[in-house]
Amino acid sequence: MSAAQTSPRGADIAVGAALPDWELNVTPTVVVAGAIASRDFMPVHHSRDYATAQGAPDIFLNILSTNGYVSRFITDWAGPEAMVRKIAIRLGGPAIPGQPLRFSGEVTDRREDGDEFVFDVAIRAANDLGDHATGTVTLNLPR
Amino acid sequence: MSADVDDPVRASLERFVGKPLGPPEEGGEPRLAPEAVNGPMIRHWVDAFDDRNPVYENETTASEGRFGGVVAPPAMLQTWTMPRPKIQGIEARGGAPDDMTFDNPVSALDEAGYVGALATNSELEFERYLKPGDHLRSINVIESISDQKMTGLGKGYFVTWVTTYTDQDGEVVGRQLFRVLKFDPSTIPGLGGDTK
Repeated sequence: MSAAQTSPRGADIAVGAALPDWELNVTPTVVVAGAIASRDFMPVHHSRDYATAQGAPDIFLNILSTNGYVSRFITDWAGPEAMVRKIAIRLGGPAIPGQPLRFSGEVTDRREDGDEFVFDVAIRAANDLGDHATGTVTLNLPR
Repeated sequence: MSADVDDPVRASLERFVGKPLGPPEEGGEPRLAPEAVNGPMIRHWVDAFDDRNPVYENETTASEGRFGGVVAPPAMLQTWTMPRPKIQGIEARGGAPDDMTFDNPVSALDEAGYVGALATNSELEFERYLKPGDHLRSINVIESISDQKMTGLGKGYFVTWVTTYTDQDGEVVGRQLFRVLKFDPSTIPGLGGDTK
């Protein structure tokens, strides 16, 4: 999925609408690039030896990256006029190289906010180990 | 929520609840981010996550839209205040970015045998998007510490803290709630230990 270059009108998005599914190919480079771009130098996010010694199956995505990808998943759909207000996630199993991370989302609420709409979107990012992150993203869109 | 007074570990943690987290010399004052919000770090992020929302780097598109100019990806909020790391020795420090040590509930639980750590919740809130030149400060406050819980990983405590981010004018621009389970791996159910 590539980023939307325009935003849908809030009035055209109904509760129950599904976001386009998206799959992130998680590689060691993806994990390391996200960790360093978010200024997180914890060795579990770049050293497999260190990560496995800590009991993890491999290096794994840091939480800042998970939030970064959730934000991207939302605005790839909602476009440049969206303003993300909240990203609330419950963290599950690790996102590790070789396990594609599948993102899905559904609009669960829509309410008026001045000349805009506020939406809640239930999101899930899962791999073959189970849920990596589940939660709710709140965003504004113009009417 | 009042703490379980019959649990000496939990009772010892009460001193942290509602208090700022940081070295005493900071006196509970918010810490200044190493860098102001800036284009190079935004573009590093955009490439790392392949996030092509045009408002992060296309000045023309961004200036015509709701933000009135280029903004930083909102999920970068915590990134701006990450400390500058000392790379040498980071493994020996368990991943801590620098040598700074101060009294905190995570270390206190390590010393009490609850050496496992699992992040369970993150809640980011954004009051506004940040623009290049914004220079943040952040402060962490321990919001709550649970009573001892039996979990699938063993006995442990949930520690919750809230980071508040302010800009150069002292206005709050965002918050992050973060919850970690600190657990004693030797008490994991099914290992034949105490599993009640």
